[in-house]
Amino acid sequence: MTETVVKVSNVWKVFGERSAEAIKAIMDEGIGKPQVLERYGCVVGVQDATFEVPRGEIFCIMGLSGSGKSTLVRHINRLIEPTSGTIELLGRDVSKLNQKDLRAMRANHIGMVFQHMALMPHRSVRDNVAYPLEIRGVNKSKRWAVSDHALQLVDLVGYEDRLPKELSGGMQQRVGIARALASDPEVLLMDEPFSALDPLIRMQLQDQFKALVAELKKTTLFITHDLDEAIRIGHRIAIMKDGIIVQIGTPEDIVMNPSDDYVREFVQGISKLKLVKAHSILEPLESYEGSLDGAPRADEGADLDQLINHAVGTDLPVVITSDGRDIGVVTKPRLLRGIQGGKE
Amino acid sequence: MAENQESAATVVAASDIEVDHAGLDASINEFAGPGGDYYSKNFQRIHSSTGFLPNTFNWVAAILGPVWAAARGIWGMFWGFLILEMIAWVQIGRGWWGDPGASFFERAEKQRERAAEFLQRAEAARLEGADPARFEKLAENINNAAEKSEALGAAASSEAFAILLGGILTLLAFKAVQGFYANSIYEKQYSSWRVDHKSVESGRKLKNIILSVVLVILIAPLTVYKFTVDSPLEVLNAFPERQVSAIFLDSDKATLFTELAGWLEQKIDAAAIAGAGGFDSITAGVRSVLDALSLALIGTPWPVVMLVICVVAWRAAGPRVAIFTAASLAYIALLGYWEISMETVALVGAAVFICVVIGIPLGIWFGKSRRAYNAAEPVLDLMQTLPAFVYLIPIIAFFGTGNPPGILATIIFGMPPVIRLTSLGVRGVPEPIKEAAVAFGASRFQLLRDVEVPLALPSIMTGVNQTILMCLSMVVIISLIGGGGLGKVILEALQYAAKGPGLLGGFAILFVAMVIDRIVQGAFRREDQK
Repeated sequence: MTETVVKVSNVWKVFGERSAEAIKAIMDEGIGKPQVLERYGCVVGVQDATFEVPRGEIFCIMGLSGSGKSTLVRHINRLIEPTSGTIELLGRDVSKLNQKDLRAMRANHIGMVFQHMALMPHRSVRDNVAYPLEIRGVNKSKRWAVSDHALQLVDLVGYEDRLPKELSGGMQQRVGIARALASDPEVLLMDEPFSALDPLIRMQLQDQFKALVAELKKTTLFITHDLDEAIRIGHRIAIMKDGIIVQIGTPEDIVMNPSDDYVREFVQGISKLKLVKAHSILEPLESYEGSLDGAPRADEGADLDQLINHAVGTDLPVVITSDGRDIGVVTKPRLLRGIQGGKE
Repeated sequence: MAENQESAATVVAASDIEVDHAGLDASINEFAGPGGDYYSKNFQRIHSSTGFLPNTFNWVAAILGPVWAAARGIWGMFWGFLILEMIAWVQIGRGWWGDPGASFFERAEKQRERAAEFLQRAEAARLEGADPARFEKLAENINNAAEKSEALGAAASSEAFAILLGGILTLLAFKAVQGFYANSIYEKQYSSWRVDHKSVESGRKLKNIILSVVLVILIAPLTVYKFTVDSPLEVLNAFPERQVSAIFLDSDKATLFTELAGWLEQKIDAAAIAGAGGFDSITAGVRSVLDALSLALIGTPWPVVMLVICVVAWRAAGPRVAIFTAASLAYIALLGYWEISMETVALVGAAVFICVVIGIPLGIWFGKSRRAYNAAEPVLDLMQTLPAFVYLIPIIAFFGTGNPPGILATIIFGMPPVIRLTSLGVRGVPEPIKEAAVAFGASRFQLLRDVEVPLALPSIMTGVNQTILMCLSMVVIISLIGGGGLGKVILEALQYAAKGPGLLGGFAILFVAMVIDRIVQGAFRREDQK
């Protein structure tokens, strides 16, 4: 097992003065968000969230606006205090840190990227990126060297001395990412970083970001309201609704086995081609009656897209192999159903 | 999606759509309460008319007038038509029992008396053997005048009927307007009631009827009486301040005013003596700032000061302002205002300096703490709205006269803008940028230094600029409490009505103000362009 970097256990956040009573009522009576607001005047932000993120993983938190995902992620660096529950970061309980240690933790181990960039308009791009280091008290020449390096990572060489407002939205967000990377943190918190960008730029940045994080091996919590984005970027996805995490799983898990109707509705429109792998739709070898001579072969990790490429050239099913051994077949009907999302 | 389509209304041509009168009537009934059927019928007529003129007439509204409006909760209509009807009633009252010719007849009578007196004297003169012609002539003249007065009086009396008639016609016209427009206005009330059930009044409330009747009884008779009667009761002309004071004080001489003023004076004197140490140290502090500035502006050789001012104008605001500055300085120096102008600049500068030093930290605090700002807001409003003359008096009491108290008065007037705009700027710093700084580990001080103050700076600068302008506007006023500088020149010219010196001094103030304003504005504009 790889080391757990972020561990969130039973975190509750209820806004309002009577939060303790409200939590008790939710636990005992199972009342919903509207009743809590009506009875206690409290707003439920996060309800009993528990998850762990191992080192190097991109953990996506997906939910619609108001589902509590931004609130949840702000607990990790304690921009918001939990009402109850614990948050461990690198083995330390974040809520027990004193102010000085908390600031050190934020400055040294956490980088954050915001939906609206949140760059300082009066500072140059370089000084924006260098700001986390400045807080840490790094000297200017070191700071500038590091920030130039970080800007290099996000392809912004030549823009160091510009002001943020001179840059386009996509470039500004790359500055935001460079700023988060500059202090070389273990954990990246991405709060809907690409939501405000137009689709084409968003896609480019998603790919760039994914490659960057894979290379730098940063543990990342990535918030988004876009399931496509979550699937493109995330190793695992948590789906939130009304402050509750309704399902955690790999993109394939979520698409193939949605835990409830809410998730099912979400995944309906998602393309399965790159998600669904051969092993989840194959039939046993014995069930196919007929000759498999000359049938194409594919590994069990091949996705539907690859299977289609194999299948179009022949009338025979595709034989699925594991470690060179035949373990099953995917017939054309199976393949077509798989594209539809595994419906029988 | 499919469900939505099924539940959508079937498509009907606009001309075929039936009006749902039953539903509307129920709602109007609920709104109107008593008389609901009448109103639903009339609102329907209003709804189906497209013309500009009203097509319904409400007899109850016409007859009861304002009371109807109040009963239905239309208070704007109540007050409007109460005033209009009162105008009509005053006319009627004047025509009915007022006597417009009375003053003329009175005068005629007096004139006849005097004529009779002169005739007596003429008689007496004749008895004494003197010439009575002079008196007879006078008596005849006065008699003629009396006849003229009588004629005027008769004319005025006959006018009374015209006034009465006019009053009645006016009243009828107002009643008609109320009758015709009552339902339309009430329909408007109904429309807004549909939007907001809570705050728009509906139905006919007994409480409103009682209130409106009481208001009418209190307002109408007295007003009509005061305007129609020739010499109404004295008590209605002016508030009987002395008599009321006497009730409270048991004394004929003292009034509430003299008592209260005396008490206040004592308290202020006592406070001034008790706090003398504190007030003196404030005065000393202000004086030291002023002295430092005066020394710099007046003590430094004048060519140096002039040169520095011109160069600053040039660097900060460009060559045009520099030329204007040089010309202004030449005017001031040639007319012998140099030293006294520098005193004015020192006064304004000291006031602005203290305003900024105190105002910016206060502004930052108010910007961060909503509660502190709420507490300070009324004080700031008071500082700005209170006319300067009002607080000059306590300032004299506590701080005496001269330049430092003048600066204090200037500060009271000049400080609010810098406080307000600083706190506005601090509050306007975008939350995400602050959050980002905190997320990267910034402490409160770092947040203030790196994010809040830099981002609020444009607003703070605007505040400083406004403070400078406010302080400049106090230059003349503070001369009233012994402040020096150009204001004193103006005040002296005012006292002796010296037109020439007054005008020259006025221009000197104008130039000083314009030079400071141009330089500061120019500097800020350059700052903005960065």
